[in-house]
Parts: sequence; structure tokens; C-alpha cells
Amino acid sequence: MAEVVFIGLSLASVLLLVALGLAITYGAMGVINMAHGEMVMLGAYTTVLTRIYLHLDILAAIPLAFIATALIGYAIERVVVRRLYGRLLDTLLATWGVAILIQQAVRLELGASFFGLHIAGLGPGLQNVAVPPELTGALTLGSVQVNAFRAFIIGVTLLLTLVTWLLMYRTSIGIQVRAIMRNPRMAAACGIDVDRVNALTFAYGSGLAGVAGVMVSGFKTVFPDMGTPMVVDAFLVVVVGGVGSLLGSVFSAGLLGQLNGVTAFLANDIIARAVVFAFVIAVIMTRPRGLFSQKAR
Amino acid sequence: MPGKRTLDYAAYAVFIALILCAPLVLEEFWLNRIAKFLVYGLLGVAIALSWGYAGILNLGQGLFFGLGAYMMAMSLKLASPTSLQQGSATPVPDFMLWNAEPGAKTDLCCINHGSFLWTPFQNPWFGIGMAVLAPVLVATVIGWVMFRKRISGVFVSIIMLALVLLVRLVVIDAQPLTNGFNGLTDLGNLTVLGVELDPYEVVTYYVVAGTLALALIATRLLVETRAGLILQAIRDDQNRVRYLGFDVPLYQVFFFAVSAGIAGVAGLLYVVVAQFASPTFMDLSFSITMVVWAAVGGRASLLGACIGAIGINIIEAGASETQALVQAWRAVIGLIFVLVVLYLPRGVAGFASDAADAVLSRFGRKRPPAARPASERVAS
Amino acid sequence: MDTTTRLTTRRTALLGAAGALAAPYFFHRAARAADAIKVGVLFSQTGGLSIVEKSLNDVTLMAISEINAKGGVLGRPVQAVVEDGASDPKTFNEKASKLVIQDKVPSVFACYTSASRKAVLPVFERRQSLLLYPTYYEGFECSKNVAYTGAVPNQQLSNFIPWITKTLGKKKFFIVGSNYIYPREMAKVSKILIEKNGGQWVADEYLELGDSEWGSMVNKIKNSGADVVLSNVVGDSVVAFYREFKNQGLTQDKLPICATVTSEIEIAAMGPEYAAGSFTSFPYFMAIDTDANKAFVERYRAFVKNPKAVTHHALESSYFQVHLWAQAVAKAGEAAPLPIRNALAGQEFAAPGGMVKIEPQNLHTWLTPRIAQWQPDGQGKIIDAYQAPVMPLPYVAYGETDGAPFCTGKGLDTARLKG
Repeated sequence: MAEVVFIGLSLASVLLLVALGLAITYGAMGVINMAHGEMVMLGAYTTVLTRIYLHLDILAAIPLAFIATALIGYAIERVVVRRLYGRLLDTLLATWGVAILIQQAVRLELGASFFGLHIAGLGPGLQNVAVPPELTGALTLGSVQVNAFRAFIIGVTLLLTLVTWLLMYRTSIGIQVRAIMRNPRMAAACGIDVDRVNALTFAYGSGLAGVAGVMVSGFKTVFPDMGTPMVVDAFLVVVVGGVGSLLGSVFSAGLLGQLNGVTAFLANDIIARAVVFAFVIAVIMTRPRGLFSQKAR
Repeated sequence: MPGKRTLDYAAYAVFIALILCAPLVLEEFWLNRIAKFLVYGLLGVAIALSWGYAGILNLGQGLFFGLGAYMMAMSLKLASPTSLQQGSATPVPDFMLWNAEPGAKTDLCCINHGSFLWTPFQNPWFGIGMAVLAPVLVATVIGWVMFRKRISGVFVSIIMLALVLLVRLVVIDAQPLTNGFNGLTDLGNLTVLGVELDPYEVVTYYVVAGTLALALIATRLLVETRAGLILQAIRDDQNRVRYLGFDVPLYQVFFFAVSAGIAGVAGLLYVVVAQFASPTFMDLSFSITMVVWAAVGGRASLLGACIGAIGINIIEAGASETQALVQAWRAVIGLIFVLVVLYLPRGVAGFASDAADAVLSRFGRKRPPAARPASERVAS
Repeated sequence: MDTTTRLTTRRTALLGAAGALAAPYFFHRAARAADAIKVGVLFSQTGGLSIVEKSLNDVTLMAISEINAKGGVLGRPVQAVVEDGASDPKTFNEKASKLVIQDKVPSVFACYTSASRKAVLPVFERRQSLLLYPTYYEGFECSKNVAYTGAVPNQQLSNFIPWITKTLGKKKFFIVGSNYIYPREMAKVSKILIEKNGGQWVADEYLELGDSEWGSMVNKIKNSGADVVLSNVVGDSVVAFYREFKNQGLTQDKLPICATVTSEIEIAAMGPEYAAGSFTSFPYFMAIDTDANKAFVERYRAFVKNPKAVTHHALESSYFQVHLWAQAVAKAGEAAPLPIRNALAGQEFAAPGGMVKIEPQNLHTWLTPRIAQWQPDGQGKIIDAYQAPVMPLPYVAYGETDGAPFCTGKGLDTARLKG
């Protein structure tokens, strides 16, 4: 049974890892970023490229992926998203278009494939990410064997959640972000540079997605479409947890992860997926504002 | 504003005339292809009705499309020659043989658990009826629960999204009944009132085009009724309408169900022209894509959303069949989505409407600038 | 060959000769373009399936260019009309009708998944056109308008299961697959074979297609008491599966994964260290040690300008089916679907993986079953192979045997199907 709980925990940590960035961009900024999954994908490709061109491993890729995706996120905010604040559903549509563009860019090797050139590490195929030997195989903790890489993911997720919490609740920029969340006009009136803070917040959320990409690349497959299913799961986590509540996302990721793990153990993985969807529908129907909600905006 | 409305009606008339005259110039492949696109146009109408007029963005419209498609396909599967050749008194779909319970009799009643559910579909009218009824019923039940609880906006979208993914999962898993991931294929032609609807014949095109024309006229008239006006008031401010004493959920459920029914008809017609039903109709990407069609055409305009769906598909077909763009056409489409959302927030129809205003005012008609609904106002 | 076609051929040959002798280069090219035999090539260039289908598209174009380099067919060059299926059955259906009805191509090389093949099938059957389908699939199809050049279950399992029980000595199977028809049908055939060979199966489990969360499943495998895993997992899920398998402390020497779908593509993507020691049954592997195959791999790598590109079973089938098709066109003497189909029956070709032959009865392909063990360098070392190609039996799960095929030139014999 301990193994089942551990697997549930690790499912939860993967969910949370991807949802964390979304909890920021959607929860705090009111942007439904469908390109979030593509940020995860770009993080994963950063890992691939880091290995091929810099000969560095997955650990070194974490900061690089954060920087790369944060920059791309910053650019997306400047060019697309900032024209759409307050038009929630329009952000969904526009970022869906952005997501298609990013996928195609990777698949066409940034356009090089038109000229018959080939950039190693990009293109439509599956990519290989090497994991250092100390993170492969199983660890024995007490009586149970646990997957070392999953334990590592749980650790990274905890760390990132903590850092995000500190940023949001213990720094001045966090206070500014939360002020904008509650009332952007009032925040602007108080002298907060709303434009700048929004751009930075979006970049940070994207950067988190990039880190998530590095982590999932170690045990999932890296290919241009990998992000799409992840963004759906992440949305469900954020909505069930309550939009704008970091703690809510943590809690709901834990709940959905365990629900999935336990159902898969008792029945099978297909039923587990179905139960998770049904649970999400039931929660939103009964508590539309999510399990942990606060009045936002 | 009589001038504007006349223009609007004229646009409908021109569009309907165009689609009815299309067979004069189209050869059989394009006839079939445009028929498919008209089906997408019908989906656009369904989305504009629920999104533009009721303010309900359904990210699971594919559920209703898929339901309609499967109901029709079940009937047509039983009408297919292979289903009739299995040596049983009743037709038996070929895939049921390989999913049969060991030792089960080859008969629709009991070849596997649940195969009896197929029995009434031997009558094509049952399939046609269910293709409309099933989506309407599902929408009514879901809508009733959602709108009674005053769930709105993005939460409705997420519920529908989770629901369509759930149903997709179940349809794929219920392989003995649905043929799982491969979907229902090898279908017979639909024969109604003695007319066989071969997908490449002009008559089939006219069935699709006629249905679309009817749907456009009917929905257009519907939104101009009292109920339609109340619905638009609900979209703009639910609470005010509620305080005025209207039963808000009732109107929402009604229009949600009508939209679902139209999507179901679209699914039905798609099966008639494309001859297969697949669980990919319930993919998330398809549901989002059809919303984007409507956004590009103009979510607040039934005709706009319809033309948006048809137009994007024609552009897609053109781009993807240009040999140089075979790999890149998706990027072209992605770019169009982004640009339209950024620069034409009310879609092509909004642009046309503004243009019409400009023309009308030049001809000396004084009219106040149209107020935009709250949902479209850009927050500063 | 009847008189008219012979005349046409001779005239074409004369024209060609005249062109080559007298005309400047551009004239020659113009004549060629006008005269080309158009064929459809329809695989996904975008979307999730482009991972594999892009390579099938490339190798099809390579085979066509080889045919053209040798002067084409019937003295005419072959011209590919390439379309994108976009990983979506709706698009496959639309593009197939474009190729068949509008472009009027006599044959289309198309489809990787069964779902897409089923979506295009009505177009080919109603229009009496010809589809050449290169993928291993679940069988249970007997279309007069399709030639199937990939393996069917008997060509992947009939040698595999007895080999597992006898040579490997493993008797308790955990069957796992992606949740769709091919894995379920493979599971069905394997269960029959497992019981026939004195083994037993302890579980038959599925994961959603494309899902890559294997934590729970691998934990189940670990606690199931099985001593061998039979994997019918497809696509990108495969990578996550093998990685999770190793990371939960399972090893290939104690609990080997015996797979029917894991190919060179997935092995390269997961990192060969995760698969080393596991087995796959396919008619073709990149490591087949013949000069013909090595030359094929080199040609392919040069064609796609990628020195690390891998070849795999569906890719090899995509390649040789174009050559089989060209031979059939030459034999038929005209580029029309039904004559080509009739001429395809019995056609043989020395493919990179050995001789292949189209079975005249059911238009499936005689292939040589092989079992390979994956090595740390990412190649499959062939450790067991049939001496000769094996007859394709698309209905083997229902008792079809070599002597009594269910699917014949007359169509499917449904009376036999019910046994």
C-alpha cells in the first residue's frame, strides 16, 4: 500500500509541477494560456539541446530551461497577451494559435527543414533525454522501493512550490502581483507598474513550465505535441483547487493524484482517468469556485 | 436602424443563394468537400448561438457533434452490406464478431453485453431522431444542473471540456459496442423517403445546404423573438434579468439545448457525407478549433460564425494542398487565429458590420455608434 | 498485354527515344511532366503521428525517386502528389477523396494507423481505387481495394509466443497494451497461443493511447507474479513505459519485456540503455546483416540528410510496396487501379529485409518473422528467424490456417468466420 501512496504522490507532484506555472498565469493574471503546454515542451527541448550542444546533463538544463522559457513567455506577453487582459476567453483562443505556431516551429526545425537542413534535436520525431545514472533505477526507503527519478521530481516540486510561495507572499513584487490580482486599476493608482509586473509574472509562470518540461522529459517522451494533454490536466488542477489560490492547487493536485493512483490500483488506468474527470466535473458543479477559493478581481 | 437590418438580411439571402447555386459550378469532389465544410458551418451556427447570444462558451461542443455522428453511424452501420452478410436474421456489425462473448449467438440481441442497444437503430429514422434527441437530452440535463447552480463563464467551459474527454474515454474503452478507437466505418448510404443519399451526389449536397439554410433562418428568427432578446439580456447582465423576474436558467437551458441539437444535426450530416464516425470527433483540439472558427467569423453573428467555419476550412484546404506548404500550413492557420483575435476581436462579421456602418453613415443616415456588449469591452 | 497497350507503350518508348536524341533538355522535361504517372502519398506531416509518418512519407518519396532514376514505369516517370493527413481521420478522409476523385491517381500509398485506414476505406471501395497500406495491423479486413504490406498478428506472434515459452522458458504472461483495437486483437491471438504452448496469462491491462503515466501499471506488473511482459504498447507511450520499468527496479533478465510494436524509433528515443535485453518481434530490423539492407539504410540516411536516421518495419514496408507497385504497373501495362491490383497478386520483390511476396488470395504480404534482442547500441540483434517468409493470415484469431484462407479473391467467407 505504501507503494500505491508513493505513486499517487508522484502523480500529484507531476500534476502540480505543470499546474504551478498555470496557477500563476491563470490564477493570478486571468490568462488562460493554452500555450502553457508548449512552454513545458520547450523546456523539454531545452534539455535535449543542452545535451547535444553543451554536453550538459538534465540538472544543468533546469536553469537554462527556466531562462529560455521565461524569455519566450515574456515575449508572448508583450506581443499577444497584454492586448487581451480582461478578455479571458480571447486569451484562450489567441494562445491556442500561439501554441500551434510554437509546435510548428519545433517540427519544422525553425524553418530549416524548408531548405533541406536538419537541426539535431528538433524536428517531428521523438527525442531522447539522458538521465544521470544516480537518478535512474530504484531507491529503497525502509520497506518500499521507490523510483529515484520520481523522488527527485517530488523534491523539485516541493522546492519550486516553496519558492513560489515565498515570492508571492514574502516579497514586495509578490505583494504587487497580489494587489493586481485583486484590483488592477487600484493597484495602478497606487503606483504599481502594472505593465511591468504583469510581464514579469507571465515570464515567471512560463519559466516554471519550462522547469516542469525538464523534469517530465526525464520520464516521458519529448516530441512537439507533448504539451497539449498536460495543459488540460493542469487546468483541471487549478480550477478544482480554486482560481488564485496556490494552496488550493497544491491540495487539489494531491487529491487528484491520489485518486488516480488508488483507482488505477483497485481497477485500472482507464477507469482511473474516467474517475478523475468525473470527480472534477462533480467538484465544479457543486463548488464552482473551487475547493479553496478567494474572491478575486 | 432599418438600413442596417436590411443589409443584414441581404447578407443572409446572398449567402443562402450562393450555397444553393454552388452545384452549378462545382464538380463532384468539391461538391462533397464543400458539403463537409457546410456541416462545419452548421457547427459555427451552433457555437454562435450559445457563445455569441447566450454567453456560454462550450469547449465541449464536440460531444454533441460526436453524439449525433455516432447515433447516425449506428443506423448506417446496420444498413451496410457487410452487416447484412453475417448469416443472422438481424444485421450484425462486423466488429462485434471479434468482440463477441465466447459461444454467443451471432445476433444483435446477444452477441455481447449491450449489443441489444443497437437493435432499434435498424430503423434509420430512429438513428436520425436520436442524432438530434440525444444531444438535446444530454444538454438539457447538464444545462439544468449547471445553470440552476448559476455556474457561468469559464467554469461552464471547463465542465464541458472535462465531460467531452470523459465521454471520449468511455467510447474508446467500450470497444465491443463502439469499435473503440477505429470508430464506425464501412457504413451504408442513408436512404430517406426512397432517396439514397450518395455522398457525391447533388441531392446529398442539397440536403446539407438546405439544412444549413433552414438552421440559419430559424436561429436568426429565434434570437429575434422575445425569448432571444431576454437571452441576450442575460448574456450582458444575468442579475438584472433575474431581478426583473425572469427564470434565467430556463432560457439558458433552452438555448444551450438548441445549440446542442444543431451540433447533433451537424454530426449526423457529417456521417452522411464522410461515411465514418470516429472518437476523434470528441478530441479536445476539434472542440477548440470549432470555437476558433466561430471567433474568426464573428462570434456574435450567426452568419459570420458560419462563414468563418467555411472560410477557414477553404483556406486550410488551399494551404495544405499547396505542395510547398504541406508541412507548414498549420503555422499559417495558427497565425490567422492570433491575428484575428488581436486585431479583429469581433471577427470578420464585426469588421463587415463596421464597414457597413461606415458606408451607411456616408449615405447620410444618422445613427448612434453601436454599443458593444460588456463581454467584449476591453478592460484598461 | 493486349495490342492497344502494346502500341501505346511502343509509341511512348519511341517518343522518349526521339526526345532523348533530338530535343534539348527543357523539351525533354516538359514531355516527361506531361506524361507522368501520378500517385498519391498521404501520411501525417503534422500532429502527433507525424513522429512516425513523416519517415514513411520520406521513404516513399525515396522509392519513387529510385524508380524514376531507372526510367520510371512503362517509360513514364512517377510523380508523387503529397498530402498531409494531419494525424486526424477527418483530414485523411478528405485528402483521400481529393487524391482519388479530383487528382484521379490510380493508387495511393497511405496511412499508418488503423483508424486512418478505416476512415479512407470508403473512398477507395466506392471508387474502385487502390490503397497500399504499409503498417502491421490487427487483421480482420478483406478489402478488394487495399494491398497490405505490413505484418498481421500471425507473422508477429506465431513464432514469438512459442519461442518465449520454450527458449526463454517463461510461462506467466502479463499482457499490456494501449487501449485500442490492434493491442486488444494482439492480446486475443496471444492468449490462444499462450494456452496452446502451456503458459498462462495473469493479466491483460490497457493504458489510454498516448498516455505516458506508467507509475501504477508498472507497480502492478511488479506485484503480479508474472515472469514475462508481453507489450502491445504503441507510440510515444512506449518510451515512458520502458523508463518507468527500469526506474521501479525491474530488470530485463528477470522479467523481460517482449514487445510487438517497440521499434528502432522508440528505442532511439528512450535511450538504448533502458531497453537493452528486451525483445521485439518484427519482420524487419535495421540491424539485418545483409549488404542489401546496409545499402538501403545508407540510401535512406542520405535521402533524408540525417546521418542518424533509423529504419524500421513500417518504413521498410513503405519502401518495398512502392517497388512492388511499380512491378505490378509494368506487368499490367497500364496505370489503372484494378489492373494494378490484379497484377500485384503474386508479385515478388527482394526487399531490404529479404524476399517478400503479395499473397494472391488476400493481397496481404508474405513476410519473414524475426525476433531481436535490443542491444546497448540501440540495434536489435536477430536471435531467431524463420527460414522463409510466412503466409499472412488476417483472420488467424478465428481459426484461419494456411490451407483454408477466409479471405480469398471472392471476398470474405463469413460462414467460416463463425467457425
